[in-house]
Amino acid sequence: MSELRTSAGTAQMTDDNFRLLRDFIYEHSGIYFSDTKKAQLENRLMLRLRANNLTDYDKYYYMLKYDPQASKEMRSLFDSVTTNETSFFRSPPQIQAFQEKALPELMNNRENIGEKTLRLWSAGCSTGDEPYTMAIIVKELLQERLSEWDVKIFASDISEKALRSARSATYNEYTLRSVPPEIKKKYFVPDGSQYKINDEIRMLVELQYLNFNDSKRVRLMRGFDAIFCRNVLIYFDDTAKKRFVSQLYDNLNPGGYLFIGHSESLHNISRAFKLVHFPGALGYKKE
Amino acid sequence: MDISVFDTIKNIDDLPTLPSVAMEVIGLSRSAEVSINKVSECIYKDPPLATKVLRVANSAFYRRGATEVDTLHRAILMMGLNEIINITTSVSVLSILPPKGSEGETLRKAFWDHCIATGLIARHIDKKLGMRSMGREFVGGLLHDIGKIILDEYFHKEYMEAHAFSIDVDCPMYEAELEVLGTTHMEIGHFLAQKWDLPGYIADITLYHHQPGEAQYKDITALISISDLLAKAKEFSCGGDRLSFVLTDQPAWHMLKQMGYPVHMIDIERFTFEIEDIGKEVNNYISTFSEPGAEGFVHE
Repeated sequence: MSELRTSAGTAQMTDDNFRLLRDFIYEHSGIYFSDTKKAQLENRLMLRLRANNLTDYDKYYYMLKYDPQASKEMRSLFDSVTTNETSFFRSPPQIQAFQEKALPELMNNRENIGEKTLRLWSAGCSTGDEPYTMAIIVKELLQERLSEWDVKIFASDISEKALRSARSATYNEYTLRSVPPEIKKKYFVPDGSQYKINDEIRMLVELQYLNFNDSKRVRLMRGFDAIFCRNVLIYFDDTAKKRFVSQLYDNLNPGGYLFIGHSESLHNISRAFKLVHFPGALGYKKE
Repeated sequence: MDISVFDTIKNIDDLPTLPSVAMEVIGLSRSAEVSINKVSECIYKDPPLATKVLRVANSAFYRRGATEVDTLHRAILMMGLNEIINITTSVSVLSILPPKGSEGETLRKAFWDHCIATGLIARHIDKKLGMRSMGREFVGGLLHDIGKIILDEYFHKEYMEAHAFSIDVDCPMYEAELEVLGTTHMEIGHFLAQKWDLPGYIADITLYHHQPGEAQYKDITALISISDLLAKAKEFSCGGDRLSFVLTDQPAWHMLKQMGYPVHMIDIERFTFEIEDIGKEVNNYISTFSEPGAEGFVHE
């Protein structure tokens, strides 16, 4: 690999570089890198240094901050700092917060008003791992009582390719690495070297193409009890982000929850929600 | 139970006692005639304690300058009288109730981890809000749940039951304690703080960290109350308490706001993410107290 190494290959990210870049990324994307993730950030940004033929992180930071072309680079930067991979039961503390706290609360509220309906939305569902995970969690919670409920999980994405893959509902071993063995046994059917989601779970999920810029259609997504919109907001500028998040707020039922990426923040974007601290994860509640 | 757990604990003869020198130092901190010489002379009367205080003062956590401080006198000049008194208090308590108990070691360590995390978070918030608690916030965090350590020490089996109850029923630890033991860690902690003649703010924190509105020392009790919750949210937890909460709805939050502290300036999301890094600090702090060769970690 040595011939591929440019001068950036030896660049070291100092603690000062790290803090400046971390703050820059947080300010512009709402994604936070804690000190423990310094090596991760360094690895990701190494590629950006190479792509821009830069020799150190100082120069990269100045480019982001002062170069007139910076907005283009920022898009690539945010792309490289968000893991594009998706997997079942991704970010366990968030999933656990949903499973143990938010979902039981939402269902209780529904039962109390005698309306056994549940509407969830996986906004930016990619290859379907997230909505199927949500469906499994609902089934696990309701078990046999699932048939008494009217449950729909909408899953949308802008990529047709991702949606096709989601429709096939077939996954490899690697994507399922965080799935507990008993869950895998219950809800996945071996299919050659792969695994296919069983029909009961598949029926709960409704996949559809949706472009978040299509505000007319986004406005039609109404009456949700919870929305997962993880690592999507980074693709918008501040104005678009504010508009979209306020739309998501309207898409929720009172008492509903919005979950964004594990280290994402709405601090500068919206004050409409109540920030809820769950064990190990944050959620945003519409009151 | 015929006799209540609280009464039993009150009547235990061999409840741990603070070293007399530590009590004297805490006493000095209340006196008008407190001075650098008096405090350092007092601590030197207990050489193992003096050694430990110096070691902690030189740890990464407290150390201010590049050079090692080799006398208490210098340490006080560098760090201030208050901080040395705080260190003496922390060192004394941690040495009589060490993080490693004979039974149920993991949970005991988790209790202390939670306390240290609470102290560290309080230190960060204190700085953010400009509260100038002068290190008391760390001691307060460290000792707020001292009652749990005592309950675990003397009623280990029942305490494990309370712990399991709290998880099963998904209720706060103090409710589980009331159910299983008929007392709470707040009540026990407060009793101990008084028995040890600890400063009034510590007694307040032990008793009121779940009801800061009742406290006399409102600022610091509210600060510890918030820090305690955040430590739990990040799962530096004593076990049991798997809570959800809205920080800005907490009584402690409103109290701090009313007292004029700029709580609205805090980016709560970012601060919550920053707390992730406190895990490392917690371990550093524990290792400061448990370096090999550190004497005095015996049960008295």
